[in-house]
Amino acid sequence: MPGPLEGVRIIEMGQLIAIPFAMKMLADMGAQVIRLESTGRLESYRADSVYQNDVSGEFWNKGANFYEQNRNKLGVTLDLSKPEGLQILKDLVSVADVFSENFTPRVIKNFGLEYEDLKKIKPDIIMVSSTGYGFYGPWANFGATGPATEGAAGLAYQTGYLGGEPVMAEIPYTDYTSGEHTVFAVMTALMHRLRTGEGQFVDISQTQATSSTIPEILMDFSANGRTGPRMGNQDSVMSPQGCYPCRGDDRWLTMAVATDEEWQAVCRVLGQDGWASDSRFEDSLSRWQNRDELDALIGPVTSSWDAHELMHALQKEGVAAGAVLDSKDLLFDPHLVERDFYEVVSHQDSTGIPPLPYASRPWKLSKTPAVKGKAAPLMGEHNSLILSELLGKTTGDVAALEEAGIIGYGPSDPRPVRRPSLDEQVRQGRMQRYETDFEEQVRRAFPG
Amino acid sequence: MPDRALEGVKVLDLTHHISGPYCTKLLADFGAEVLKIERPGGDPTRRMAPFLNDEVDPEKSLVFAYLNTNKQSVTLNLKSAKGIQVLKSLVEQSDVLVENFAPRVMASLGLDFEALQQINPSLVMTSISNFGQTGPYRDYKAADIVEYAMGGLMYISGAYDREPLKHAFNQAQFKAGTDAASATLMAMYHQRLTGEGQQVDVSIQEAVATGLRDVVNNFTYTGAVRRRQPNHSGDLSRIRASADGHLTPNPGIGAGLNWDVLVEFMELPELADDKFNTPSARLANAEELGQIFDDYFINQNKYERFYAAHEKRFIFGVIQSPEEVMADPQFEARNYFVDIDHPVLGTLKYPGAPFEMSGTPWDARNPAPTLGQHNVKIFGQRLGHTPEQLVQFRATQII
Repeated sequence: MPGPLEGVRIIEMGQLIAIPFAMKMLADMGAQVIRLESTGRLESYRADSVYQNDVSGEFWNKGANFYEQNRNKLGVTLDLSKPEGLQILKDLVSVADVFSENFTPRVIKNFGLEYEDLKKIKPDIIMVSSTGYGFYGPWANFGATGPATEGAAGLAYQTGYLGGEPVMAEIPYTDYTSGEHTVFAVMTALMHRLRTGEGQFVDISQTQATSSTIPEILMDFSANGRTGPRMGNQDSVMSPQGCYPCRGDDRWLTMAVATDEEWQAVCRVLGQDGWASDSRFEDSLSRWQNRDELDALIGPVTSSWDAHELMHALQKEGVAAGAVLDSKDLLFDPHLVERDFYEVVSHQDSTGIPPLPYASRPWKLSKTPAVKGKAAPLMGEHNSLILSELLGKTTGDVAALEEAGIIGYGPSDPRPVRRPSLDEQVRQGRMQRYETDFEEQVRRAFPG
Repeated sequence: MPDRALEGVKVLDLTHHISGPYCTKLLADFGAEVLKIERPGGDPTRRMAPFLNDEVDPEKSLVFAYLNTNKQSVTLNLKSAKGIQVLKSLVEQSDVLVENFAPRVMASLGLDFEALQQINPSLVMTSISNFGQTGPYRDYKAADIVEYAMGGLMYISGAYDREPLKHAFNQAQFKAGTDAASATLMAMYHQRLTGEGQQVDVSIQEAVATGLRDVVNNFTYTGAVRRRQPNHSGDLSRIRASADGHLTPNPGIGAGLNWDVLVEFMELPELADDKFNTPSARLANAEELGQIFDDYFINQNKYERFYAAHEKRFIFGVIQSPEEVMADPQFEARNYFVDIDHPVLGTLKYPGAPFEMSGTPWDARNPAPTLGQHNVKIFGQRLGHTPEQLVQFRATQII
């Protein structure tokens, strides 16, 4: 079944997550996404987190995060510092619907690839730029990664343990927040183009997209001049809400109690008649006022439970509860597996990577679900295909381009990131543990 | 008046709380016509803090006001046969229906997709739920913290030796709302091309689980289970305390970073060492490097270092308080915060466009509706019920 975006062609000059993630989502839904790469400036996700930590050979075709972010795309290498390379990019734009990129505006201006330039090549082009702080304004040319915009947006300031310092996610969180908004922005622009035939420029500020998801914080300051405390895992109205220890090493359960009935159910499941009749906890206001005491009582009781068993027991009684899933739990979560959330993707033979499951999408469309997942491209994998089929180059032209270094099939300066051994990573605390039979476990659960 | 991108898209909005309303806000703010159906007591978000001046009033919830700009509101009792009948006549006139009830609810009202499709074959029906419309946890309850935990983001967030920590407020709901808006438009794109409607199932758990890095793939690629990182993890983008707050002094990415320039910038000659001058070396000597960074930044001013770093193209970031966010010169230059005038709240500054579109700008032309503000317009003028019938509806608590 084709995806709903069949026939939409996107040229992507992306890096890392913000744009690659968004374009992957569109590629999944049927758009043809042609991802451009440089051989001179190696995408760092190609050089890091490689399969089995083995950085020998063509390590640039083995990076986990590259495969994660670039499913279903076609890959073309281009040296944009040479006029011929830049011309090929423009030729691609002339047959595209969307051009997307996440470099700083300075880079785009230097290449002469602003919307006004591209519009001359393709009048109805939709151009999408995703930057840390937006394409214009005094911070426009400030480079940014996820942590920078999570801080600038106001989200990190408000996140943290009770009475503690600000904390941020340990992934480039706002790349995803802005990436999700980018998918929406492209769809909005495509809907408009479908109706009017007009393209336009979409300027995505990763900070703005993130600030748009924290009205609880920004509206309170705007209207009341108030900045609330960092609340840890507690809620501003309901209690108990928190993350409580369970049996085992680093195992946890989350729970959020909204009503008196739910509270009585918690007392029942945990066998605490005393709590059920304790006047300090009799209604939601008193529970909230005494929430620190309540949290201190709950932890020692949950710690003898298995997190999943307690989750099921509480849910059976109508209480919102969830085990804190680690990466292995998440991969093998029976609910996600039942919903086919993971999609098994086969890798090119030359990589030596077996078929592996990857997270798919948070939506299921009943009539136009998605295209079948194909692995991210090897470096330069589709050079010939795209140059000949889309731009009419001959075999001789392609060979000449390779000879001139305009296109290529590997990094000009191949330097992988060498991660410490897994034993060392566990010792340093970066990893909780590792399991040597992981390949067998994955194969059994996801036969493909 | 400039064109609006989603002009002509008619959305019937049965959502409440956050995920659904954020989805339909995105659609409404870019030009879709969104009709919000509220239960007679109103969307529960109307009772959600914070309120203007802490006055608990269904028209004074600030989060409600933010989430419902550009929508029209009618009240309708879906537990009455007449209410269902009225709803079905609205379905006939809509492109999209968005709802975020628990998965059993729409079917129990006789409003499952099959029934609605008979009324309107080109209808796109988007359902947002905690765990999706199928699967063993379908009927499990959740709050944002539970979605964080079950989506895999919580285990890796927070301090190494403490309990996992969630982001402030309702991030999981906002992610799902954004995803639902995207998926709705994908289905609408198909509908505009073919006339065919379909059902869209959005799971909040999956919205969280889709946006992870080095989590599931750490296991599938190496067998490792990642934990919350210790303070000195080798991740240079971590938060460091400054004399006046906090910043993220990330010098750059991977091999592209020019270490010598950084050493000169920070005036710390001890960093000019083989222990630190490559990404691999920095990973191997992370603890020592982290300590040097901590000791240095605690004596610095965050904005001074932020601006100075960007002159050298280091990608430092600042942690801004709400007050600093609202005074941010970049936001100001981009007119991000906008004044919206509301009949009860008065004029307040709201977070504005999540992104800018040159041809079809974001536009907060109308404030959030008061409860049932458009009952007469929609039920009377659009559906043709007489004033007497509307009185009857009200008397029998259908609206």
